[in-house]
Amino acid sequence: MNLLKLDNLSYRYSDALEDEYVLKNINMSFEKGKVYAIKGKSGSGKTTLLSLISGLEKNYEGKILYADEELSKMDLDKYRNTDVGIVFQSYNLLPSYTALENIILSMDINNSKNIDKRKKALELMKQVGLKEEQADRMVLRLSGGEQQRIAIARSLSYNPKIILADEPTGNLDKDTENQILNILISLAHDDDKCVIIVTHSENVCNRADVVYDLKKINGRK
Amino acid sequence: MYIFKNAWKNIIRNKGRNILIGIIFIVIAASASISLAIRNSANSLINSYKESTDTTATITVNRDNMRQNMTPPSDSGEDSESNIEKISSEFKEASKISSDDIKNYADSKYVKSYYYSMSVGVDSDLTKVESSSGNEIGRGPHGMESSTDFTLTGYSSIDGMTNFINGTYKITSGEVFSDFEGNYAIINSELATQNNLKVGDSITFTDPNNSENTVTLEITGIYEDNDSTQKMSMFTSSANTIITNTKVVEDFSSKDDDLKVNTNPTFVLTSEKVLDKFSSELTSKGLSEYLTVSSNLDQVESATSTILNVKGFATTFLIITLIIGAIVLFVINMINIRERKYEIGVLRTIGMKKSLLCLQFISEIIIVSVAALLIGAGIGAASSVPVANSLLQNEITSSEEKVNEISSNFGHGPGGDRESSNMKFNKMSGNPNFKKIDNINALVNFKVLLELLGIGLVLTIISSASSMIAIQRFSPLTILKERS
Repeated sequence: MNLLKLDNLSYRYSDALEDEYVLKNINMSFEKGKVYAIKGKSGSGKTTLLSLISGLEKNYEGKILYADEELSKMDLDKYRNTDVGIVFQSYNLLPSYTALENIILSMDINNSKNIDKRKKALELMKQVGLKEEQADRMVLRLSGGEQQRIAIARSLSYNPKIILADEPTGNLDKDTENQILNILISLAHDDDKCVIIVTHSENVCNRADVVYDLKKINGRK
Repeated sequence: MYIFKNAWKNIIRNKGRNILIGIIFIVIAASASISLAIRNSANSLINSYKESTDTTATITVNRDNMRQNMTPPSDSGEDSESNIEKISSEFKEASKISSDDIKNYADSKYVKSYYYSMSVGVDSDLTKVESSSGNEIGRGPHGMESSTDFTLTGYSSIDGMTNFINGTYKITSGEVFSDFEGNYAIINSELATQNNLKVGDSITFTDPNNSENTVTLEITGIYEDNDSTQKMSMFTSSANTIITNTKVVEDFSSKDDDLKVNTNPTFVLTSEKVLDKFSSELTSKGLSEYLTVSSNLDQVESATSTILNVKGFATTFLIITLIIGAIVLFVINMINIRERKYEIGVLRTIGMKKSLLCLQFISEIIIVSVAALLIGAGIGAASSVPVANSLLQNEITSSEEKVNEISSNFGHGPGGDRESSNMKFNKMSGNPNFKKIDNINALVNFKVLLELLGIGLVLTIISSASSMIAIQRFSPLTILKERS
């Protein structure tokens, strides 16, 4: 069963010409328990597509259906802090917060109740391969790989059904890239998450269950 | 709620920025609390001064009317002289106010109480105090002069003896008579010394027109004239003035129709608002067109003028502080928001609602501003009294300089101590009985704190307006793209 479906999705910037689409007639579908890679060159609209799926942009044409519900009609703030977890290439953590505080803040925004937030955050850190002693460090004192793990832990903190990752390994070395990929693949295969990775890395594409090539499916001129 | 927890943590995390905002708030709060304390205290001081000072009305010469009537016709000089004589005679007749007239005027719903004095020129075997001008330039209620050795001044009650009330005269021996119907007198200490008189002695005065008309008074007290303005001059105007009651003066003058009696009534009104009505009532009761009703309102205004100036200065200072403070806070917060654009982007991306984000940013400003307001109010409370009194002293000094300037114009020089100067000023304001306010107890009370809280709220809204606008306008995706 499709968790997320893009139906003739098209998008152009508000200041663009009438026919100047970034994305044109995109049709995709995503299921739980699988890793999807969306590949394409720089400027092919990968990040824009992710923005649309994550509900950060909503002036699109066509349909984005999440659990058969039109995304643009949903409360997108709630969607972002309940149903999707977003992992960025540049991590987008709050630098004045500690690793643990970044994860707990996300749970706070989700309004998670009746749980020991600190305990859960430490469990998530352990799940993504971080040690407890790193919990109270300011994120800027962590390496790039560690920061990306924190970003993944944050995105998992409210147990979303979809994990969206925008070039999650773009800033990382080969070994770290593989470690991060292992975590994301495990989330799909072991925890039944739908993991969507936007990437231009062949390594990521090779390990994904399904690969969408924007060059082939984007109908823009 | 996590919003407030986060707000508090953010304040701690960004100490430098919040200390800067806090300092600006403290300066504004301290300045505002000083200004508000001065304003409120000045208001209550003026109100209590007015409440404690009765509005009184007296009957004086209507100089405008006299001048108008005395204007000679343009073509005939002879006619003009006879016209002036006619007016003078009419005026003399009109200015005779009897005690019955006063009782009639005082029988009004606008009058709380009344008192009056009567003065008449008399002769005596006593040796007058030569340096005194009191009897020779007798200052009757209507500025009329007498040419006798002594002046017999009677008061209807103790209320009218204002020189004793305000401390200008002070009894040095005996006491002021309490029987306002008997033949009693109090005399100046200079006259007593000159004639070797003491309490219990009797003194006799004679009608200058009729030597058979005499009155003998028993001395019940001897007073000293402390009028500091006269310490500078050669004359003590009261030395040849004998103080008695109005019954004595009335009985004495009733035996001689030609004797000139100056009557000076004072009516204590129910409020300052009824002055015009009372004046109209007196006109309808037959008050001459050459006389008019005047009040002490100008004198009250004069006594509170310095405090009004200080209040005006405090208000201006408050407005300027608030305008500058609001602008500075708005700009600082705008810069602050630009610095925190990334944080806004991240929080919006992970699903934080705009309204909650606004609430968090406003909470941060409120926490800082409330803490700063309390500190500022404390500083304001500690400094408001000395600052207010310093402003008041500057204002008083400025007034005194004006008085000294006027004094030097008369060739009297700027000299004299402060008290003397103040008295001169009061005299020149036509205001001998009104002590100027020279101290202000500016308190930061509950009302001031409430006003301060209102100001703080307005400033917080102004300064957080930049945050709210930015949060509404910023697109999280654009922010994060810019960052990347």
